[in-house]
Amino acid sequence: MVNLIIDDKQVTAPKTATIYEAAKLNGIDIPILCHDKKLKPFGACRMCLVEVEQMKGRQIPACTTPATEGMIIRTSTPDIVKARKMVLELLLLNHPLDCPVCDKSGDCDLQNLTYEYKVNSNRFTDEKFSHEIDYNNPLIERDMNRCVLCGKCARICDEIVSYGALTFIDRGIETKIGCEFDDGLNCEFCGSCIAVCPVGSLLARPFKHKARFWAMTKHPSVCGYCGTGCNLTLGVKDNKVLTTIYDENQGFHNGQLCVRGRFGYQFINSAKRLTTPLIKKNGKLTEATWDEALELVASRLKGGNAVAALATPRLTNEELALFKKLLVVNVGTKNFDHAAGYAHAALTEGFASSFGVSASSATILDIQKSNLLIVIKTDAYETHPVVGFEVNMAVKNLGTKLSIISDKRGKLSKLPDAKTLVHFPGSEIAVLNAIAKTILDEKLADGSAAAIAGFAELEKSLAGFSAETVAGLSGISAAEIKKLAGEYATADKALIIFPVGQAYAGHAADLASAAANLAILTGKYGKEGCGVLCLSEKNNSQGAVDMGFYPQDGGLNALQILDACTDGSVKTLLIAGENPLSSYPNHNKVKAALEAVDFLVVSELFMTETAAMADVVLPVCSFAEKEGTFTSTDRRVQYFKAAIRKNIKIKSDFELISDLISRLGGSAPLSPAAQFSEIAASTPGYEGLSHVSLRKEGAFAAVSMAPVFVVPQVAATIAAEAGKLALVTGSALYHSGTLSQYGEGPMHVCPENYIELSRTDASANKIVEGEVVTVSSASGSIKLKAKVTPRMPAGVVFSPYHFSDAPINTIWNGSPVTSVTVSK
Amino acid sequence: MNPITPIINGMAITLKHMFMKPVTLQYPTERPKVAARFRGLHALNMYHDKAKCVACYLCPTVCPAKCITVEAAEDANHDKYASVYEIDMLRCIFCGYCVEACPVDAVKMTETFELANYHRQDFIYSKERLLEKQ
Repeated sequence: MVNLIIDDKQVTAPKTATIYEAAKLNGIDIPILCHDKKLKPFGACRMCLVEVEQMKGRQIPACTTPATEGMIIRTSTPDIVKARKMVLELLLLNHPLDCPVCDKSGDCDLQNLTYEYKVNSNRFTDEKFSHEIDYNNPLIERDMNRCVLCGKCARICDEIVSYGALTFIDRGIETKIGCEFDDGLNCEFCGSCIAVCPVGSLLARPFKHKARFWAMTKHPSVCGYCGTGCNLTLGVKDNKVLTTIYDENQGFHNGQLCVRGRFGYQFINSAKRLTTPLIKKNGKLTEATWDEALELVASRLKGGNAVAALATPRLTNEELALFKKLLVVNVGTKNFDHAAGYAHAALTEGFASSFGVSASSATILDIQKSNLLIVIKTDAYETHPVVGFEVNMAVKNLGTKLSIISDKRGKLSKLPDAKTLVHFPGSEIAVLNAIAKTILDEKLADGSAAAIAGFAELEKSLAGFSAETVAGLSGISAAEIKKLAGEYATADKALIIFPVGQAYAGHAADLASAAANLAILTGKYGKEGCGVLCLSEKNNSQGAVDMGFYPQDGGLNALQILDACTDGSVKTLLIAGENPLSSYPNHNKVKAALEAVDFLVVSELFMTETAAMADVVLPVCSFAEKEGTFTSTDRRVQYFKAAIRKNIKIKSDFELISDLISRLGGSAPLSPAAQFSEIAASTPGYEGLSHVSLRKEGAFAAVSMAPVFVVPQVAATIAAEAGKLALVTGSALYHSGTLSQYGEGPMHVCPENYIELSRTDASANKIVEGEVVTVSSASGSIKLKAKVTPRMPAGVVFSPYHFSDAPINTIWNGSPVTSVTVSK
Repeated sequence: MNPITPIINGMAITLKHMFMKPVTLQYPTERPKVAARFRGLHALNMYHDKAKCVACYLCPTVCPAKCITVEAAEDANHDKYASVYEIDMLRCIFCGYCVEACPVDAVKMTETFELANYHRQDFIYSKERLLEKQ
C-alpha cells in the first residue's frame, strides 16, 4: 500500500494502482473517456490530467501514472479545468453535434463531460469528418465520424476478446478506427466494443432508435443462455426488454458478454410467444382455458412410473425442485431427467464417483489464478464464450500456459504460445489416460496419490496406455503427450477445463473421471488455480444436478424414457421446455416415441416442433418474467427477479407445477422464496443461502471433495469407416441450445445449420464455400451449407446441433463420432 | 316604494345597453385577434416534403403532462424519423415546453384554439393531422 494525498485528503492505495485508480478507490472522480477497469491504461483522451506537487506544476495523465508514496495530487485546480475544457473543445471540433439522432445520447461520456464543463462554444473551427458509415453487418453500426479515438474498442477486442477486428488505421488527423483493409466489420459480434464506446461511434443495430437511455428502467438479471452465469442489465421500456446495458461493475466478468447474452434477448418479447393453453381436439391444437388444460393434465398424472418427465435445465432451481416434488411425492414416479440424460453424466456419474460430489472442483475465477490450463476441445470457447475470455486474459495478460487437446483447432488455438494437440475424433480419454500413465511412469505423481483408494486398480488399468500406444490411436505424437504430462505434473497450479452438452456425447462420465484422475494423481484439486472445471451447457445445468432432477434409485434416464414411450410402458410424458425432436440424438426415434406416447404435455415459450406434437401445450414465462435462482457451472447461486410483468394469460412453470400439485391433493410452497428455503435446508452446499442473502450478489455453494481413483472405460477409438468422413457435433459460437433460434441477434449472424469441412476434403470433393451439400450417414441424410475452414483436420467434419430447420440429429444418433459421406 | 319602479329602472339599464357598444367579443361572428406568441394547437414543421422532426424524444421527456408519444424508426437512408408522433390534446396543458425543447425547430404552436370535438378519440392528434396544419 502507498500513502498519498489527493485533493487534501489523506488516502491509501495498492502499490499497483495508478493515480486514477487510487482516486476512484477513495471516491474521488476524475473525468476520463479512454479508461475501462478491465483494460490496460492507455492515456489517449487527456481528460484525466491532474497536477502533482512533486512534478513542478506539470499536468500529467492520472490513468497512466503510477501512484507513489507521498504524492500530493490535485484533481481540479482552475488550470486543470481550463485544460480539460480545451481538450473537450478540441474533441468537439470534429465530433458531429448530432445528439438528437444519436442513440448514445443520455449515456454518452462526451456529452456528460461537455455539460459538466459547460463547453458552450468553440474557439476553433474545422471541418467535420465525412467517413462512410459501416452498415455492412446486422448487429454493429460503426460511425467513425463520431469517434474520439479513445481506442477502447480496439483494446477490448484485442486484450479480452482476442479477435482483433478493430485497430487504428491511417495517420495524423486522418487516423480512425478501422477493420482490415478498411472494409466492413465482420467479427464474432460479441458487441464488447459497443459496450465500452464512450460516444455513439459503435451502436447496437437491433436496438437502433428503439428508446432513449433515460426512458428505460434498468433491471439486473442473470443471462439465460449458457452455464457461465453472466450478469446482465436489461433495459426495459413499456414492459418490453429492448436491450442489454453495459455495467463494468457487474459480475465476475465485469459486464463482459458474448453475442448471445448481448444480442439474443429478443425471444423475451417475441411475437411468436405462446399466449394461451392449447388442447389437442380432433388432431388439432385448439385454444383452451387454464382450468380445462390443467384439469386434463392432472387427470392423466396417474399410474406412478407410467408418468415420466423431461425438463430443461433452463428452469430455475425452485421450479426444478418443485417439479421433482410433484413427480416423486404426488405422482409417484422415478422417471425424470434433463439434458438428454448424458449431458449431465460428467457431473452426476463422473465427478460423483471421482470426487464424491456432483460439481466441478474449480471455479471460473481459478482460470486467471492458474499457471497451466488444459482445455479439452477448443469448443469450450464456443459453448462458454465468457469463460473463453477469461482464458484469453489469463494467457495474454498473465502468461498462463495453455494446452488444448482437441479434435479440431479453434479460436483458443490462436492464442499466443497455445499448443493444440489435435487427436483423432473420440480418442480424448485415451490421451488423458496416456498422460496419467506417463505421470506414473516418470514418478511425477504427488506423494498423496498412492494412499487414495483405487490407486492400484488405476495403475493396472493404465498398462495398455503408454504414450507410444496412444500416439498410434490418437494421432498425437508420444513426445507431445509426454511433454504435456511433464508440464502438467510439474506446474505449480494447473486447471483442466472441458465443456459438456447435448452435442458432446463423448464428454460424459468417463472423460470426467479420466480428467479427475490426472488432478488427483498430481494433487491438483481443492487448491487455488487447480482442479477440473466441467462447463455445463445451460444456465441452470448445475442447478438441475444439485436439485437432483435426474434418475436415481433405478429411474429411467432421458433416452430410456423415450424408449419406454415407444414400447408403451410410459403413458404420460411431461416435457418442460425441452425440445428433444431437435436436440436429442436420433430424430426418427424421438419422433416415434413422441407419437407413440399416450399423452404428451409440453410447457413452452414457443410452438416448437415438440410442442406441435403435444396433446396439451402450456404457455410459460421466460427468465425475464419470473424470479428465482440459477446455479452457474462453477456452482455460483445467483438470484434474479422479474424484469417485466408477464402476460396475464400465461403462468410461470412454478405456478403451473404448484397448481398441479394442489389438484393432485398436495400442498406447494407459496412462493419461490419459500421453495428456496426448503432447498437451502436439504441441498448440500446451499446451507444458509436465501433469496434475501443472494439479492445483492450471488454466492458459491460449497463443494466438499472425497477423491477416489475411478477407472474410466475407454471405447475403442471410433475411426470413420474407410472413404467416409468423421462427423463431430457441437455448439456454434452464436447459439445455445435451441432457444437462441428465437433471438434475432444470433439468427442474424448464424441463421442456418452448416457443415464445416477442411480444405483438403473440400477440394477432394470439389466443394466450395456456401455450396449446399448432402450429408448422409447410416441413419439418414440432410442438406447443409458447406463452410470450408482451415481449422478442421482432414477427414473430420463439424456441424452444430441448434437448428430445428435442418436438425443434425437426422444423421446423428448420439455417438461421439458418426461416419458420413458428403456429396454435392 | 312603488313596486313597479325597480323593474322600470332595471329595464331602463337593459334598454340603455342595447344601444351601447358590446363589451365582450362577439364570438363566433367576431374573431379574436390572436397574439403572435399565442400557444394554440401544435403543428409539425416541414422541410421540403418531410417533417423536420428527428424523433429525439426531448419533447416527450420534457412534457409535464406526458401527452406526447413518439416512436422513432430508421428510414431507407438510415436516418432517424418519427414513425409515430401523437399528442393527446385532452392531457396537454399548452405550456409550450415541447417547442422550447425541440433542437431542430420541428414543432411549433399555432393560433388555432378551437379544439372542441365530439369523441375522445378525436383529441388524439396523429402525425398526419399535426402536419396538415401547415
